[in-house]
Amino acid sequence: MIRWLILGVARDRTRLLFPWLVTTVGVTLMITLLGFIEGIFMGMVDMTAKLDTGHLRLVNKPFYEEEHLNPLDRALAAEKETKNWLTQNSDSKIQWTPRIRWAALMDVPDENGETRSQTPVTGMGLDVLPGNSSEINRLGLESSLVNGRLPERSHEMLAGYLLAESLDLEIDGTVTLLGQSFDGGFAADNYRVVGFVKFGVAAMDKKMALVDLGDAQTTFYMEDMVTDWLGFLPPKVPIFDYDKIKSDLQSKLTKWMQTPPGDWVEDDFPILLSVLDQRNMDQIFRTFLMVRKVLVVIFTFIMSLVLWNAGLLNGIHRYGEIGLRLALGETHGQLLRSLMIESLIIAALGCLAGSLLGGAFVYYLQEVGVNMGDAFVQTGMMFSDVMRGRLTPSGFLYGIVPGLAASVLGTLAAGAAIYKRSTAELFRELEA
Amino acid sequence: MLELKNIGKIYHAGDQEFLALRDVSLKVETGEFMAFVGPSGSGKTTLLNLIGGLDRPTSGDIILDGINFSDKSRDELSFLRRKYFGFVFQSHNLLPVYSVYENVLFPLLLNGEKELEVRDKIMGLVEQVGLGPEAHKKPHELSGGQCQRAAIARALVKRPKLILADEPTANLDAENSYNILELMLDLNRKYGAAFIFSTHDEKVTRYLKREVRLEDGRIVWDREKE
Repeated sequence: MIRWLILGVARDRTRLLFPWLVTTVGVTLMITLLGFIEGIFMGMVDMTAKLDTGHLRLVNKPFYEEEHLNPLDRALAAEKETKNWLTQNSDSKIQWTPRIRWAALMDVPDENGETRSQTPVTGMGLDVLPGNSSEINRLGLESSLVNGRLPERSHEMLAGYLLAESLDLEIDGTVTLLGQSFDGGFAADNYRVVGFVKFGVAAMDKKMALVDLGDAQTTFYMEDMVTDWLGFLPPKVPIFDYDKIKSDLQSKLTKWMQTPPGDWVEDDFPILLSVLDQRNMDQIFRTFLMVRKVLVVIFTFIMSLVLWNAGLLNGIHRYGEIGLRLALGETHGQLLRSLMIESLIIAALGCLAGSLLGGAFVYYLQEVGVNMGDAFVQTGMMFSDVMRGRLTPSGFLYGIVPGLAASVLGTLAAGAAIYKRSTAELFRELEA
Repeated sequence: MLELKNIGKIYHAGDQEFLALRDVSLKVETGEFMAFVGPSGSGKTTLLNLIGGLDRPTSGDIILDGINFSDKSRDELSFLRRKYFGFVFQSHNLLPVYSVYENVLFPLLLNGEKELEVRDKIMGLVEQVGLGPEAHKKPHELSGGQCQRAAIARALVKRPKLILADEPTANLDAENSYNILELMLDLNRKYGAAFIFSTHDEKVTRYLKREVRLEDGRIVWDREKE
């Protein structure tokens, strides 16, 4: 019977073309739109994770609560012991890396050693020296260089390109960082600026300087200390799994806290956070999920309406056939089922074409993206300049399911009219 | 085989009532070749539709092989139509997107039969009605007579007890009408299915073994022919 129905669908363009077009266009739009929105959101998550929070973050609670002040005295001690514990106890998928968040006044001297310009900067100490750094790739520092080179030895610095412009920095020029050390004393250290970096996040390009982790420990007297341990998950790990991975590790951390490293005092015990716990990402994530649901419902509703009308027109076009089939002994239920099968066949073809087209659009948006840097220059949000789509199985699912559902709903609504009419009435219409 | 007892049918149009059939009673035996004849509006088609379970009588009983159609549900009537009846219409009413072969196949698919198992049976029947070379042509590629032959094959394919034919020659020229009637008579003899026509075509009446004349919804006379 299904083969017989497929033949009918394939041969009757009036039955096939319009519903197929509606489904194709709807599914294409859904996949493209949702792929782009998901890409923007996940791009923001990844950008925030890479530059700021990690996907997971181990940090002292007091430091986290006052991190806008960069309270280095609440940094986390026992760097090496912590690293060993994290490596041994956390999921092998997670890459852990230490960082120091610092803040200081950056002073740029002239040829006489007098201050030529100065500004407060926020900075990051991280593994950037050649050899064992995963951070260079993670932050894409090589490709982000606007001028100069990456640090190769101690006390070399990278500066945000907008910061460099505002301070009129020169490559190979020296700057002095003036700040507060771990123990509340005065910290001052000279750095050689070797490169200007475009992070692609306006807030960071204007204020950020990067130095090697070891140099930051020296400058701020933080031997064997870091402010953060950031854990990074591979892209294939779904965002919905972050909380579970975090809570698994949290339970181990709670046990560890019963015999903590000697350098830790009780009120400095670390907490574990996921990216969703920070920077209001959870709220944004929930908004994203809601927007996705709303879009799915709206698209399904609109497509159902259109397909319902298409079904009604199709019913008029096929009055004769419907009357005949009932006369030959097909029940109303069988007839409705066969109309549903037909509509599902057409919807499947539409979903296939829509998936190919939508997938191609999202792939293009993923690989090429849309440069919206100008729009975000004034914002402090961690958006990449280039907005990209993201091709994911769930993106296809959210396109295909509404396509099929709309087809079923539309056919059911149109089929109800057939269901209500008596056989005799349909038969008279056939004979008319 | 088939018995109609005091059949009445009233149609409603707004506040108006139209009495289409009144107190019609008759019996039809296996293998009959008969027709309801009479002028337009005499109730021929209505009676045919009631026999075929396409419509329900307002009063009276229709009993086929001991089964009373009057108290059956819509789905049960569909099942009975599938099992007992073949239909031939004034216009051939073939499904336009399907070939002759596929049109004939359809009633068997409704019965849940597999195409592979009935292919030979269908082709045999299609050849029997003289459409072997046209088996895979669509209705629009056939003449009116050929379409009606295909419709007859479709009506016969599940070997029904009764073939109901509503003005089957009305749209055909004389030659095609005779050919179709010869074919039906031949198949009536071969398969033993009873044929009941509604017609006012004199060409048809010549072939009939029994005529039932209706006027104003009543049987005026019912006579066997020699």
